[in-house]
Amino acid sequence: MLCDNCKKNEATIHIKEIHAGQVVSVNLCADCARAKEEKGELGALGFNLAEVLFNIGKISEKIKNGSAAPVPDQAGSEPETVPVCPVCGWTPEKMRAENGKLGCPECYHTFETMLSGVLSHIQRGSAHLGKRPAAAGTDGGVAAKRFELEKLQRELEESVRREEYENAAVCRDRINQLKAEIAAAAAGAGKE
Amino acid sequence: MSGTIDELLKNPVSFLADASADEDIAISTRIRLARNLGGRAFPIAATPESDLEVCELVSRAAAESGALGCPECFSFDPAELSELDREILLERRLASREFIAKTGGTRLLVRSDESCSIMINEEDQLRIQALRPGFCLDEVWSAIDRLDDELGSRLDYAFDSRLGFLTSCPTNVGTGMRASVMLHLPGLVLTGQIGPVMQGVRKLNLAVRGIFGEGTDNRGNLFQISNQTTLGESERQIIDHLKLVIDQLITHEKNARRQLLAHDRYGTLDHVGRAYGVLLHSYKLSSEEALQCLSGVRLGVDVGLFSGLDIHLVNELFIAINPAHLQKAAGVSLGEPERDIRRAALCRERLKPRV
Repeated sequence: MLCDNCKKNEATIHIKEIHAGQVVSVNLCADCARAKEEKGELGALGFNLAEVLFNIGKISEKIKNGSAAPVPDQAGSEPETVPVCPVCGWTPEKMRAENGKLGCPECYHTFETMLSGVLSHIQRGSAHLGKRPAAAGTDGGVAAKRFELEKLQRELEESVRREEYENAAVCRDRINQLKAEIAAAAAGAGKE
Repeated sequence: MSGTIDELLKNPVSFLADASADEDIAISTRIRLARNLGGRAFPIAATPESDLEVCELVSRAAAESGALGCPECFSFDPAELSELDREILLERRLASREFIAKTGGTRLLVRSDESCSIMINEEDQLRIQALRPGFCLDEVWSAIDRLDDELGSRLDYAFDSRLGFLTSCPTNVGTGMRASVMLHLPGLVLTGQIGPVMQGVRKLNLAVRGIFGEGTDNRGNLFQISNQTTLGESERQIIDHLKLVIDQLITHEKNARRQLLAHDRYGTLDHVGRAYGVLLHSYKLSSEEALQCLSGVRLGVDVGLFSGLDIHLVNELFIAINPAHLQKAAGVSLGEPERDIRRAALCRERLKPRV
């Protein structure tokens, strides 16, 4: 078997890693393994995330479409509809250009299918087992609401000054809603 | 909240400050948590306005929480700092290379003793860090967990019940946690065991990096070992796994040092003595050579070959010889040849035998 890196020498080092039941194997000759080892490129993330992301995305797509062989797809057979994140406008192409990074929290839902394959390769499991944010149980994001409130109050004054009364009315309604939410959170905290 | 880099430099480097068990091998412990706010684009896709709002929201939450000891904490706008001052933050391990390269919309909050800090709008909106000298994962976790809770009760973190904390890169999703311990492993390097040992560490799902993180080599025989994955295990499980491996690495290093002294005493003495000689008598020293020699001298201090040399002095030099710290101490910007001369002078002065 030839080395996956230089494709010239016989591979003598075979690295296999198991993530969520799937085996990832890398075969290297001694020279390439040493070079990669020195550069710290071996290990679970010893491959380009974007590369994994897109190959896996295409593999999952093929499996879903009933294609027999789950091999990396060739150019020219992109899925018909390209998902676009409704919040930040991120696309798979953008993700590829940014080394697998996502644009906003919503991207995790938009690209869920693509990501589930990736996560099983780069992570140890598919579900979060760690801590939860304190906000859920404490102030319910009151600080963020206060911040938005102050911003809206400035916007309201500016709208009135410019005689943009429609926008001023929208601001006023949102301000009233935020005030009520903050008051409710404060009352809730007082009971505890 | 304010402060200048000059004020920061009056502090001893926090992660080298105190003695602790196994300090001679484990130099420091660091944990960082990646967090973002719900309903907002990550910094990579955010508008400048949103970046500024995040800076303000997070600064305010930090000030209200008291977790960073504000108002006595430092707050830096990296865009307003000179390139040299930004490099100081990097050398003191308070900021990442990626963070200091950004041209606006970022802020760095640092507790006055530098033990906790928050990079705002690095790859994620919050990169919370806790850093202590020695091998103390439990202590560092407890500090950062508290800080995270205090911030989290004031900010709406982007969180998904199945995927955990949502981060810009899927390699951080879940706990968003990277726990790392910096080890000084000259024994394993000198006995030629470092390659196989580090290969083993990587197979255990841990990452090995150099002193300044990703892409840096093992200068000064310093290695940072950290968890590779963030999803599918709790913070406690990740920390316990890392602790087990670090314990084993410390044992291996101790054995290698014993082996060196038992089987190649003169070779070891020669290595240490030459390193000390270079530091004491050179007139031009590159960063790399200085780090290599400091590593040799540190080994000498650890195994008792030097009686009058304080390990803290050697530790301090590991930071003081870096380009930005050298230039700050000199008060002028220096080119590489001048830095090499200054570095050699600093080492000669600090390490000369005191009568």
